[in-house]
Amino acid sequence: MSQIAWMIGLIPDAVLSGLYWAIIAAGITGVLAGWLGKWVPFYGNYVKILQPVGIVLLVLGVWLRGGYDTEMAWRAKVAEAEARVAAAEQKSQETNTVIEQKIVEKTKVIKGKTEYITQYLDREVVKKEEIIKYIEQCPVPKEIIDIHNQAADLNKAAGGPKK
Amino acid sequence: MKLTSLVLAVFLVGCATPVPVSQRFPDVPKALVERCESLKKIEGDKVAITEMLKVVVQNYGMYYECAAKVDGWNDWYQEQKRIYESVK
Repeated sequence: MSQIAWMIGLIPDAVLSGLYWAIIAAGITGVLAGWLGKWVPFYGNYVKILQPVGIVLLVLGVWLRGGYDTEMAWRAKVAEAEARVAAAEQKSQETNTVIEQKIVEKTKVIKGKTEYITQYLDREVVKKEEIIKYIEQCPVPKEIIDIHNQAADLNKAAGGPKK
Repeated sequence: MKLTSLVLAVFLVGCATPVPVSQRFPDVPKALVERCESLKKIEGDKVAITEMLKVVVQNYGMYYECAAKVDGWNDWYQEQKRIYESVK
C-alpha cells in the first residue's frame, strides 16, 4: 500500500489535480453523452456502454479529487504544525540562553561577594586589636569544629553525592 | 482477482495520511546541569575564629550558588512548559 502511495507521491501535485479533474470531466461527458445519445440516431447503440462508464469515471474522479483535497488539507496542517514546532524550538533555545546568562551572572556576583568578604576579613578585620586579642586568647574548641564539620556533611547522611 | 486487488489498493490510498510532526525535548542550559559543590569543612584542631568564619562565608556563598541553580531549574521548567503548551 505504501509503495502505491509513494509512487503516486512522485507525480507532481498539479498533474494529479489536472488528472482528477480530467477524470471527472470525462465522467460527466460520458453521463451526458449517454443521456443525450438516446435521441441521436445510430448513436443509441453506444449509450449502454457510455452511461455506466461515465458514472464509474465520475464516481472515481470525485473520490480521487476528494482524497487529493483531504491530502492537501493535511499537508497544510502538517506544514503549519512544523512551523509552530520550529518556532517553539527557536524560542526554547532563546529562553535557555537567557536563563543561562542569568545564572552565570548571579553566580559571578555571588562568587565576587564571597571573595570580597573573605578578603575584607583578611585585610581589615584581622588587623583590629580586639580581634587579634580574641584570636590569641580564644581558639575555637575542637568540639565546635567537629559539630560544624558534621553539619557540612549532612548531605552524606541523607544519601547525597559523595565527593 | 488481481484487478480487484489493484482497484482496492488504489481506493485505499486515500487512507494513508501519516503526520510526521514531533516536538524535540528542549535542551537544558549547561550551567544548570553542574552539580552543587559539597560544603567546606574546617581543617585542623586549633583554629582561629576568623579561619572558621572564612569557611562559613564560603559555605554561604556555595549555598547561594546552588540556590541560583535551583531557581534556574524552576524558571527553565516554567518557561519550557509555557512554550510547549503554546504549540498545542
